[in-house]
Amino acid sequence: MNRTLLIARREFAAYAKTVGFWLSLLAIPLFGALGGGMVVLMKSNEPVREVVLIEEGPQSTGLAVFVRETLASESEERSAEAVEALNAAQAATGTPMQPGMAEAAKAKLSRPSIRIVDAPPDLASAAPGDAQMEVVRKYLSKETPKADRLDAVVFLTRADDGKPTARVWSASATDGAVRRFVSDALKSANRREVFAQAGIDPGVVIQTDTYDPEVETFSPQSLSGGAVTKRDMIPMLVGLASGFILWSLIITGASILLNSVMEEKSNKILEVLLSSASATEILAGKVLGVALLTLTVLVAWGGIGAIGLITAAPAWAADVGAALLDGGLIFYFFAYMVGGYLMYAVLFAAIGAFCETPRDAQTLMGPIMMVLVVPLLVMQMTLETPDSPIVRILSWVPFFTPFLMSARAPSEPPMIEIVGTMAGMFAFALLMVWIAGRAFRAGALSDVKLSWKAFAGAIGRGR
Amino acid sequence: MTAALTLDGVSKRYGDFHAVRDLSFQVEKGSICGFLGPNGAGKTSTLRMILGLQPATAGRITILGADDGRKVRDRIGFLPEERGLYKKMTPVDAIAFFGALKGLPTGEGRRRAREMLDAQGLGDAKRKKMKELSKGMSQKVQLIASVVHRPEFVILDEPFSGLDPVNQQGLEAMIRGLAADGATVLFSTHVMQHAERLCDKVVLLARGRKAFEGTVAEARATSPRFLELEGEIAPEQAAGLPGVSGVELVSEAGGVRVIKAALTAGGRGQDALKAAFLNGLDVRRFELREPSLHDAFIGLTGDNPDQDQSVKAAEAAR
Repeated sequence: MNRTLLIARREFAAYAKTVGFWLSLLAIPLFGALGGGMVVLMKSNEPVREVVLIEEGPQSTGLAVFVRETLASESEERSAEAVEALNAAQAATGTPMQPGMAEAAKAKLSRPSIRIVDAPPDLASAAPGDAQMEVVRKYLSKETPKADRLDAVVFLTRADDGKPTARVWSASATDGAVRRFVSDALKSANRREVFAQAGIDPGVVIQTDTYDPEVETFSPQSLSGGAVTKRDMIPMLVGLASGFILWSLIITGASILLNSVMEEKSNKILEVLLSSASATEILAGKVLGVALLTLTVLVAWGGIGAIGLITAAPAWAADVGAALLDGGLIFYFFAYMVGGYLMYAVLFAAIGAFCETPRDAQTLMGPIMMVLVVPLLVMQMTLETPDSPIVRILSWVPFFTPFLMSARAPSEPPMIEIVGTMAGMFAFALLMVWIAGRAFRAGALSDVKLSWKAFAGAIGRGR
Repeated sequence: MTAALTLDGVSKRYGDFHAVRDLSFQVEKGSICGFLGPNGAGKTSTLRMILGLQPATAGRITILGADDGRKVRDRIGFLPEERGLYKKMTPVDAIAFFGALKGLPTGEGRRRAREMLDAQGLGDAKRKKMKELSKGMSQKVQLIASVVHRPEFVILDEPFSGLDPVNQQGLEAMIRGLAADGATVLFSTHVMQHAERLCDKVVLLARGRKAFEGTVAEARATSPRFLELEGEIAPEQAAGLPGVSGVELVSEAGGVRVIKAALTAGGRGQDALKAAFLNGLDVRRFELREPSLHDAFIGLTGDNPDQDQSVKAAEAAR
């Protein structure tokens, strides 16, 4: 076996044989699933706050009714959203839900976070003032049994100018849910009253408030060639996900390489290796070994993702598959992965050859990591405006090309941009291989203190 | 004898610093050559140039018939001064890996690794990870890794550093074994005793320049023999003895001195002693001593081989 392959095999095995590698490999999809599940879990486990409404004085009459109506209206909206979400899920999975299950899911998703309850008799009968406050404090106190305890007491009143206002007494000093809800309800109440005073029928105001127009979008680029559906977003979402996955894979791979070279430098192994193989063979072997490791991660993530998607949402799985294969996204993904990985891997390896500790590496890695944040920010713009000038210009910067062009690929950018940026990226990657090769050779046997000046000097000398 | 290694006018410069200047010497096939000098004398730079890891600023190097060490790297074994192996590998895997890099099939490398580890008393360590081994054990493993492919030329950079006396003896035996099997060995050290015991030839280096090239006996011959005298004798009295070219007071306690009296080229120790007794000088102990390689080094270079001559040391001193 030639030396490059031997070094690649050792590099791959050094990581692949560790339990930590497989744990961290599985951790990302696991936490991804957990993260998605957590949102639903948090939503369904949000406590229902029990709230008492008290109108202060005759001028406040009607405000409590209005707040109750607002809560009911919100609940209806939430219910409609839940039905829509369930229908979408059924369409994606291709299997209709059992009626009981659907009802339970609907109830869970549309569950309100606030429930208005009647005031306990002693609170209802307490005279305004200190005595009433004493009772309020008692019901909000942790010392009161949970079954009798209230989460908030809202005093509805009016300001001097007649505008509805409120004082919210809350059991928790940090929970702002009741305050936000009451504020929104009173805003709405004020609007209706103002319109009513202007002679506008309250029924008209309610109709206007609750009107939700049905807007359909059409685009010649949609799957149907006409109406745009949520499925039309799938290619762009897949592109964006590809960009992020690519970023994560490349940076993970390059960082592994940096640490590996740094470890060999600090353990004085590099000099022994250099007496057995050329610097080019060592660099190529290490880059190849970590590339195989990166591919292993990609295959594992891809496999887990595909199995998960096919099992949970076969209809979407077909769309994702189509987006990857029909639009050539998978080809772009691999091409950009090769170019991007080469660029960053050799650069990080060259830096590692000058470093014995992570602190040494920070000198050079700081600015590089700052540059790497740019595509992360810009990539999000590609979802809605993949052809915006800033995205198009930054796509030509070789360091950003792999991520931005992967994200833009489903929007079918002009061929000149695809070919041009790809050619630029590969040309720059080859330049990086040449530069980093020289720096690696010089750094491997050097014990100079690392700085950009020393790094540039080493590239100049080459060995 | 044919030369396995020839250096001809080799120099190495790092910026303004001359690490090696106009260095020429030869190492004959199958011999053990000691490359001696203090730390910072230019030994490691020279060895790296021989291996082709660094280019020479000037001059020519021929090793095993090639003009660049990299062309014959599979026929060379190298143990660097600062050692390290993959900490999570077992000794057998590490040795087989480095052997494979030199063209040895992995299976054969593993077989030889087990055999050599057993021979070095490291049989129990075969399955352990490198990080679990003692420093002495690790150094032995690394030495095995550098010679497992049975190289024709073995370069060892300060192989004895960090080893206890027992392991140093074991290493000396290994080096003799390599030469007995036909390999040429070039090793650098600043400890002259190892070279005295092992080398067919020594090359002395001081401040980047060659100070001597020849056998150990020839090196010693460059330095005078001396007479060590102990008693109530004054240095001036010792200096006046026949055949004595100079004296050095080694120690003094309660009026009793130890004096080292260097003899002239033709000077005879017994003539000096006879004169001392005839003159009634108080000599309670005497010893005629041959010069060591250490003495020869000092005589040839004016430097102490135990002193650091590196730039770093000089800077630190400033």
